[in-house]
Order: sequence, then structure tokens, then C-alpha cells
Amino acid sequence: MLTIAAQKGQAFCDGMTRRGFLKIGTLGLGGASLPQILRAESKTQLKPLDHKAVIMIFLAGGPPHQDMWDLKTEAPSEVRGEFNPIKTNVPGIEICELFPQMATMMDKFSIIRSMVGAGGGHDAVQCLTGRKPQGPQPPGGWPSIGSVLSKLSGQTRPGVPSFLGLSPKCKHDQWGDPGQSGFLGPSHAAFSPFRGGGKKDMVLKDISIERLADRKALLNSFDNFRREVDHSGAMEGLDTFTEQAFGVLTSSRLARALDLSKEDPKVIERYGKGTEKLTADGPWKRLDQFLMARRLVEAGARCVTLGFSRWDWHGGNFKRAREDFPLLDQGITALVEDLHNRGMDKDVSVIVWGEFGRTPKINKDAGRDHWPKVSTALLAGGGMNHGQVIGSTTRDGGEANSRPVEFPEVFSTLYHCLGVDARRTTVNDLSGRPRFLVESEHAPIPELVG
Amino acid sequence: MKLLIFPLCSLLLVLTVEQGTSEENSTEETSKGQSLIATGSSPEETSRVTPLRWSSDGDITMKGPHDLHQLVLTSHEGDGKKDVTAIAGFSVEPSGIVTVSPTGLIRVIGNGSATITAEFAGSLLSRAVKVNQADEQLPISFPNEIVPIFTRHGCNGGGCHGKAEGQNGFKLSLLGYEPQDDHGYLVQEGLGRRIFRASPTHSLILLKASGELPHQGGSRLARSSDDYKTIVRWIRQGLPYGSDGDSPVTRISIEPRERLTRAKAVQQLRVVAHFSDGSSKDVTRIAQYEANDEEMAIVSDRGLVAMQERTGSTSVMIRFQEHVGVFRATIPLGVPVDNLPSSDNLVDQHIFTKLRTLGLPPSSLSDDSTFLRRATIDIAGRLPTLDETDKFLADTDPEKRTLKIDQLLASTDYADYFAGKWAAILRNKRTSAHHARGSFAFHSWIRNSLHHNVPYNSFVRQFVAASGEVGNNPPVIWYRTVKDSKEQLQDVAQIFLGQRLQCAQCHHHPYEKWSQDDYYGFEAFFSKVGRKPGAQPGEEVIFNKIGVASAKNPRSGRALPPKPLGGKELRLAQHHDPRDSLADWMTNEDNPFFARMLVNRYWKHFFGRGIVDPEDDMRVTNPPTHPELLDALAQSFVESGYDLKGLVRTICNSTTYQLSSDPNEFNLDDRQNYSRFYPRRLPAEILLDGINTVTNAKEKFSGQPQGIRAVQLPDDQFTKESYFLSVFGRPDMNSACECERADDVNLAQALHLVNSTNIRNKLASDNARAALLVKNTEFSDEARISELYRRAFSRTPGPEELNVGIRYLNRKRTPADPSTLSEEAKKKQRSPEAIAREPYEDLIWALLNTKEFLFNH
Repeated sequence: MLTIAAQKGQAFCDGMTRRGFLKIGTLGLGGASLPQILRAESKTQLKPLDHKAVIMIFLAGGPPHQDMWDLKTEAPSEVRGEFNPIKTNVPGIEICELFPQMATMMDKFSIIRSMVGAGGGHDAVQCLTGRKPQGPQPPGGWPSIGSVLSKLSGQTRPGVPSFLGLSPKCKHDQWGDPGQSGFLGPSHAAFSPFRGGGKKDMVLKDISIERLADRKALLNSFDNFRREVDHSGAMEGLDTFTEQAFGVLTSSRLARALDLSKEDPKVIERYGKGTEKLTADGPWKRLDQFLMARRLVEAGARCVTLGFSRWDWHGGNFKRAREDFPLLDQGITALVEDLHNRGMDKDVSVIVWGEFGRTPKINKDAGRDHWPKVSTALLAGGGMNHGQVIGSTTRDGGEANSRPVEFPEVFSTLYHCLGVDARRTTVNDLSGRPRFLVESEHAPIPELVG
Repeated sequence: MKLLIFPLCSLLLVLTVEQGTSEENSTEETSKGQSLIATGSSPEETSRVTPLRWSSDGDITMKGPHDLHQLVLTSHEGDGKKDVTAIAGFSVEPSGIVTVSPTGLIRVIGNGSATITAEFAGSLLSRAVKVNQADEQLPISFPNEIVPIFTRHGCNGGGCHGKAEGQNGFKLSLLGYEPQDDHGYLVQEGLGRRIFRASPTHSLILLKASGELPHQGGSRLARSSDDYKTIVRWIRQGLPYGSDGDSPVTRISIEPRERLTRAKAVQQLRVVAHFSDGSSKDVTRIAQYEANDEEMAIVSDRGLVAMQERTGSTSVMIRFQEHVGVFRATIPLGVPVDNLPSSDNLVDQHIFTKLRTLGLPPSSLSDDSTFLRRATIDIAGRLPTLDETDKFLADTDPEKRTLKIDQLLASTDYADYFAGKWAAILRNKRTSAHHARGSFAFHSWIRNSLHHNVPYNSFVRQFVAASGEVGNNPPVIWYRTVKDSKEQLQDVAQIFLGQRLQCAQCHHHPYEKWSQDDYYGFEAFFSKVGRKPGAQPGEEVIFNKIGVASAKNPRSGRALPPKPLGGKELRLAQHHDPRDSLADWMTNEDNPFFARMLVNRYWKHFFGRGIVDPEDDMRVTNPPTHPELLDALAQSFVESGYDLKGLVRTICNSTTYQLSSDPNEFNLDDRQNYSRFYPRRLPAEILLDGINTVTNAKEKFSGQPQGIRAVQLPDDQFTKESYFLSVFGRPDMNSACECERADDVNLAQALHLVNSTNIRNKLASDNARAALLVKNTEFSDEARISELYRRAFSRTPGPEELNVGIRYLNRKRTPADPSTLSEEAKKKQRSPEAIAREPYEDLIWALLNTKEFLFNH
């Protein structure tokens, strides 16, 4: 069961040598015995990062692209907005004055100003899967990038799920969507500690640690059913996961990754705290989740998604921007700076975006409304070429003026940075039909990976 | 200067390639020399005294200088057969007509007749061969000779040039199903840049394929290979497509089709294409091979199968054009099997025969507890009650297992459980609040049908050809979720016929005989489904529209009339509902798919693996492990009048179903011969219900009566509602495939079982089992532990298990020495009741987390 080999077969006709995936059994760990796993865990060193990963920051509700990183100073006043641009450390690139920290390290970011092809609905589907929410769906739905990585590559290390979603459960459910597993099924669903039972189950609260230990000892003496009788790997998997569950509840890598008290206080301070309160029916404004994301990736996660604030600003756009922009500025710059400091910037891609942009014209409530015609994305890390702006919008920021970029192109790029040739790699849907991760007309964005 | 030399060199190369033998071939063919043995005995005499056999009879006729013929030579040793093609010696008399390579491949040298004699272990076998037209260049047929080369080397696969948009500007039809198009792509597209007629080997297509020019796909065709040379000849002949008079291939045959062999043995295959004019041709070297399980057998591109270490049955798929065939190999373990009881059960007869053939001794019969728990879970979808367990274990009637199976089938629990199974693949979804009436009614209709054991053919007919509205005919609900006629045809084909037709929507099915015409001909059955608003919001009336039933094949543009799979096109009157004709065809007792699919689905339900697996993917290239059993079960099912409960009886009364899951020293690795029961995790609903029964908890589901069991829930809504059900993989009912139900294990499940508030509440509430046990002071700890074991595992605990439990209870009741307690523990004051209850909560918790509880074994 233990296979450590590059993918083979005719799916890849290009003969490209590709990073071999470390895959341990279909259950992630089904093939290795428990002692082996525990040994593996104790021996595994955390540095340097030996896998690639992606962190996706979802700005639920659709952020105002023209007020953040694409200021329209020449537009008429009913479009222009209240903010002034500032220079960045990359000559020629200007962004909103409320992102001063980003301006000092613009060379580590790229901005796509001309994202097109968003749907009109409030959901995260195109940001999480690269597929149109309204398009034809295979039964079960398209899987999100995290589930695909879990399916393709399994876990990097025992005890740490491949795919985690840090979003809380939101009243508007899609805004807390960690990314669906679609036709790949619940085995590849995100482990979401802050949604549903996930987080609650991770914290020992109803019984004491002594009692848990007693129970575990009792279980061990009762549980003498021979697991070898099962060839599906489910029994052995169960033992492994039960053991991991005890690990999570006492002290294990996953719990440690989420436990920020293990972090250097200076680093914690750099990220900031934000607030745990949910923003109306959207996600919270926690800044520490940016740090958790880094720690999880470091611990072995391949994909971490998180939701930050609620951006559906039909009213009070500028007032809310004054609150949220600086927080976002702090969170993402702390994260990207941290990745660079730790030498993780080549392996970990970061993307920040929302489901669509906002109307050029400011409405009567000083808000901006839904605008799927164009939106923006911010990228960092992943070994991409940074310090550039890709595409532009028209004078009022209403349409892509040059270099329109489709959502699947961004996915093709992210997969490329993850070492996956998305246009040649397939996963089977429920009918057994192989599905390409990204359709072949969507090449990785050459400006970023060329 | 360069310009001058270049064409000269290439000319030389062409000559060498065309006339010389390649390196590979020359070593192959000259190593044995031309004359090995001249026996003098006639073919008739040798065949009478030798145990050698060819794979086919008759003289060999070869045509043209490039014809090939693969010999397959078998030595019959006692009951066994052994492929000796590669180890026999071959001689040809007279020389100058053909050569035979050590691997048994005949190549043409010149016209005339010759005799090939094979010699192995002192035995001889001869065969006449006749060669015609050896000195003529026969015209090459593009579809029959060139396209298969692209398929064989993966050029036209879905990951490369076969993709809808091609690869780097060059497209081929997927797996060569559209040879006309391919001819155009190669010869005309790109201004003919892919072919260089003046110097064939400088054709872009060959320079790329051979890796002489950079090619993303790497080097695929060696310059010395037959395939390369065939393409060169085709270019020299002027790129013919072939004439209209060329006969198409109607089928392929495989020699041998199956073989009982040994681990590490080899088997040469021969593949023959049969043309519509009755002629045939050896295509062994241009067919494509794929092993189904590389742990058991691997196959080379020359059709040489090499068995691996593992024993059991496996198969190799062979593809030529749109035709597919299968070679099946059985690799016995060879242990004497003497522990098989005699049985007149259909299942046992076939399973035991195979176990004897394999020499694979089965495990012993399961004990009563295991049987009771297993059968109750599989038939009734729940754990046995305490009362049932006690009665069954005490019962001394030798027929008690059979009686129990009848009892379970008669109970409504059977209908509850199987209704949930069917509701999932019939996609009983509730996507709006208005849908509740429909989804509840449909579920209830399914449940009633199953409970009253409505014959399966009539069950399916009522639902496939359903018209009307939910109030009087609930099965129309299927048409609400499955709206599109393409989805309808795909679901019906997959659920009831085991045919996954999705692929054939856009191109010929890559692993089956189904073409796009088959797909759209099948869609035409659903082309007249009409809808109008129903009695209540969100409801519809389904009716048959008047008109001509047809569906358009987008490739040919032809509007196709309804056509059953593998059948003839139907001409139906305008008022006739084509779905009635579909149901007629499906439920006809000669339908090759209908009964086999159902028995296979039920087999999988009880054994965890289909005779064909996945159970609803019954294509030629996914052969059954026990074909005779599948046929026999299907036949018996048809003869019984499609009696579903009868089928369950046949399966569950078999010794095979009642075998223990404990392996013996031989069958630990067995995964497909049913020499023991294969354990599997309890489905989400049964697990939740089971936990509730053991802990005496009740579940609440919105809009459902208090205390409803999860297995009784009618539609998909409750998966979303219950974290437990979703994390343990209850399906969302999005697909016609049972594979949507996840049966694996993951960390979130483990955490939920170990530490959730949900489970904690079930353990620690005032009505919980632990509280009840403690309240009843008449019982000893032994009796209480025994009760828990019987509830959870349907068995009594062993002495050591009792000891563990009692030791634990006693230890926890003893007040702990304060000095050993943590500060935190000291703070928590516990009531006497809690002190009595808690150790039982721990005990129950531990039992619920054992593999013995979580698995059906």
C-alpha cells in the first residue's frame, strides 16, 4: 500500500518529470502500521517545507476592486471614491493609501486587475473550484482545489489533514464555505475546525484528560478485533484515526498548529488579533487565522482556505473600507513577510479574492453594488514572478480594458505552482469519467510563471 | 552541400528501414537458425501422440509481404494447460517461405507452402502455412492498419491528441473512433505539413513520434518497429484511406479466452480481427492491451501476459478499433480444499467450485452471534435487539438461521432499509420546501413496494414509464429531480442495466461497444416526456407528448428513433409512450442486462463487492469474477418472477454468506473469491441508530416523528441536517451511483466518536443506558456488562473481557488518593450517582469505539 512514486499511466503524455507524490495508502495512512506512523511522526522534522501548498483568502461578499488596488483617479466623482493612491516600492504601481504596509513590499505581490467571468451570485464556487457556479455540473458537483489536492496527493504527514478550512459557519452559508469536495466525496472534504462539529470535537471539554486516558486504556483492552481481517484498509484506518483523534485531544501536530500560544509573541503581534465576532451573516475578521494558516501549512497541510470579513458593502463602502482595509493590509503582509522570512515563499502560494467586483457608480447610500463584469485578485509566493500588475480596467473601472483573466487561468497557475499540470491531470467523477482539473484552454498565466 | 546530402541520407534510411530487418527482429529471428528439426512425420501423426495444441485449428494463410501471424502453443499436462509458445522450438520446412521467431511470430519471406513444426519436451506438432502475394505491396487500409497504431501508442488518448481540442495544435479523434476525421487531420490539415511524401521518414508525424524532433509526448515509435514501418509504407503508397469495398471489422476474438494458470507463468495471446466479408486477420501486434489488476498480471504490447505472485482471477482487456475483448486468467493457490460442506444453494455451488479450482480453503462457518448481527444489519438495517439476541442464542432449532432470515424479511425494517438504499440512487431529493410532499410520497411508495415484495420488473416499469402527478402516482417524482432526458437515459442505463453510457454522449464509449448512435437512440425513449404544473406549487404532471420520438446525434445530425441497447430501431405510433416500449424491452426475460444488474447490486449489498465491481459498471472490459454464478443468479431471479425477497433468501441462506470473517492461514489475501466474509464499516444511518440503541438515546430530525431511526429517513435533507450522518458519509443523493455513499474512515469521524458533545450527551443523559443500568440495583456488574455486550455485539463477553470491565468499575469506584489527583480533578466534586454512573459511561464509550462495534463483520 505504501507507494512513493510519481504518477504513471497514459494520462500524462508529455513525459514531464513531475514531483512524485508521497502517498500512503488510500486512506492517507491505511497502509502503514500504527507504530510506523507514530515513528514517522516523531521523526518528521518541520523544516524546511518539503511540500507545496496554497493559502486562499476569501473576501466574502465581493470587495471593491476600484478602492483597493485599482484606483480610478481620473474617473468622475460619482465613481472615483474617497481614497487616494500611494506609491509602492515597485515604480509605477500605485494602490490605495489604506494599504501602506503592502506598498512597502509590493515587489512580493502581483495584482490581477482584470478578473472576468465571475457569476452574479453570492457564492465562493468560482474562487474555490475555478468553475462557474451556474454552469453544468457533474453529479455531486465540482470539487474545490483543496479536495483535489487531497485526492491527488493524500496527506503529507500523519495527523494533519491535507485540506483545512478555517472559515467559521456563517449565516449566509456560502460565505463560510471552506471549499466543497464535490464528486470526490466526504473523504476529501475540508477539515473545518470552526464549522459544525469539527472544532468542538477537537477540544476536550466535557471530560477530563485523565478520564480520556482511562477510556483509551479501556478501549485498547476491549478492542481486540483483528484488523487484518479487513482488506479495505478501513479497520486499520480506523485505528490510525482514533489514535490521531486522541493525539488531537491531547497534544499533536494539528492541535499545536492551531494553538498560537506556541508561537513567538513577536510574530503574533505582527499578525495582530482582529476580532472573532462574525461580521453580520459573513465571516469574522480574525487576523490570527492568517497565522494559523501558515502554521498549518508548515505542519503539512496542502490547502488552507479562510474567510475574512464581509465585503458586500451596498452602503457605507468607505466607512467600512477604513475599518477593514488596514486589517487586511496587516494580515496579508504579515503572512507574506512571514513566508519569506521562513523561506516558504517559493512553496506556498497565497491568493486573495472575492466572488466579484463592485459597481463603478457609488449609490445613494455611499455603497457600491454587485459587479461581476470585473474583479481583482492578489497573489503572492508560490515561486511566481511578483511586483507586477496584470491587466487593466477601463477609466471607470467597469470592465477589463486589457488582458482579461478568467478564474480557471488562476487555478491553472496555482496548480502549476503546486507542481500539478492541471490541464493534463484528471480525477474521476462519480460516473467514472475522467475530468481535467482545468480545461486545456486555460494555461497558467505566463506573466506569473513564465 | 547540406541540402544535397540530406535527401540522400534519408533515401538510404528509407531503404534500410523498409528492406532490412530491425535489430530487434533480427536477434529474435536469427538466433534459432532456419532449420531446427525435420521430423518427417506427418502433422496428423504428431498431433495424435503429443500433448501439444495450437490455439486455433486449420492451415495458416498469409497474404502480402508484411502479414504477421502469432502462434500460441499449449502443452496439455494432465488436467492443466501450459503456454509453451516462448519455450518451444520452431522449425520451418522448406525454408524461404516464412520465419518463426522464438516468441512464435510468423513473418513472410516468399510465396509458397511450408510446414511449421513445434517441438517441446520431446513432443512435436506441425501446421501448414501458405503464403500468397509475398512480392506485392498490398494497399494499406487507414482505419484498419494505421489508426490502431495511434491507439496502441497512446497518441489519440484523452490526455493527448485525442482531447476535444487536440494537443499543441494537432488533434486526433479519441481512440480513433472517427478514422475519416483522423485521415483529414493527418493528410490535409495544416496544409499537409504533417506528411512529407517525397521522403516519408521526414514526415513531421514520424519525426515527432520517434522523438527525432522534440515531442512533448516523448519517443513513442522506434524507427525499427513494425508500426513505424507500416506508416512509412502507407505514406509511400500515397496516403490511401482504403477503398469503399474494404470490409469493416465486425468483431475480434482472443485466443485463448481464459486460462487456468500459475503464479509467475506467462501466456501469449493471439488477437484476430474478423471482417464483415468473413475474412480475418491477425492483429496481435497492433491491438492494445491493458491489465485490470497489475498486482496479478501484467501484459506487454505484444500480447504476452505475465502472471504475478498473487492468486485469484484477473483479466486483460484487449482493444482493436471500437472492439474490445477480454482474456481471463485464474491463478490457483493449490491448497487441497476439503472443508466444504455439501450445499444445494445456488450461491454455494458456484463459489465452492471456484474455491476448489483455486485451491483456496474457506474460513469456517460464523457463530450464531456473528450471523445474527450480520444478517440483521444487512437485511433489516439495524442491530439485533437484546431480546432477539437472547432468544436466537438460546434457540436450538437447526433451522433457526433460515427462520431468522424469513423473519427479518417479513419485518418492516427490511423495507425501511432497502427503501433508503433505492431512494438514494433514485435521487429522492428535496431542493425546495414544496418538495416535501413528493419526496415523502416517493419514499413511501418505494418502501411499500419493497414491503409487499412487488416483483422487480413491475416496480421498475411503474417508475420508468411513470405518468401523472405525485398525488396519485408518486414515482413521477423521479422525473422531478432527474429533469433532463440525457440524465434520464444515463440514470436508467446505469441503475437498471449496469451500463454507464455517459461517455457515448460525446464520442464512442472507450471501453464498450456503445456508439453515439446508441446513446441518442436510447435518449429518444425519453424524448416525449411532457410536463405541466401540478396540483400544488413545485409539483408537476408528467405526461406523454404526442409526436414522433427521436433524439438527434449532434455529430451526424441525424434524428434517431428509439433504440434499445444492442437492439433494433423502433418505429412507434405518435400517441404511443416510448417509455412503455423501453420498459417492455428492459423487463423482457431475455434482456441481457436487467436481471444481472439487479442480482449484482444485491450481491454487493451483502458481500461488499460486486461479482462485477463497481456493481453498476457491467461493461465487457470489466468482467465478473464468477460469470456462471452471475448468470445462474440472474436466471433464477427471472424464473422466480423477479422475487426480491427470494433473492435475499438465496444469498443469506448460503454458507458462503455465513462464513466467518476470520481468515485461515490461506485466505487472508482473498478479496474476490468469498472464501471468508469481508468486514465493512457500518453505514452512517445504521451506526447512528446502533449508537442510539446501545445508549438508549433518541434522535430528533426536523419534521419527523420523535424517535425515528436514521435508516427510515425519506430524503436527502437529513444528511445536511445531521453532522453525524454527513461526516459518516450518508449520500446527498446527487448521483445514480451507490458509490456516492462514503464508507471509509477519517479523522473527523474519529474525533466525533471519541469526543463529540453529541455522543457525550447520549452517554451521560439521565435516561441513558449507563443511568438505567445503575438504577437497576438487582443486577450484578457481570450481568450489566453482559447486557452491554449483547446489545453492542450480540454476544456474551468472554471471561477476560468481563474481568477487564469489572476491574475498571472497581477501580473507578474507589475514591482516588487525593495526592495523585491533579488540581483540576480535585476541584470537581462528583455526586455519588455520578461516581456510580461514570464508569459505565466509560465502558459503553469504549465498546462503541471498538472495531467490533463499528464494523459489520
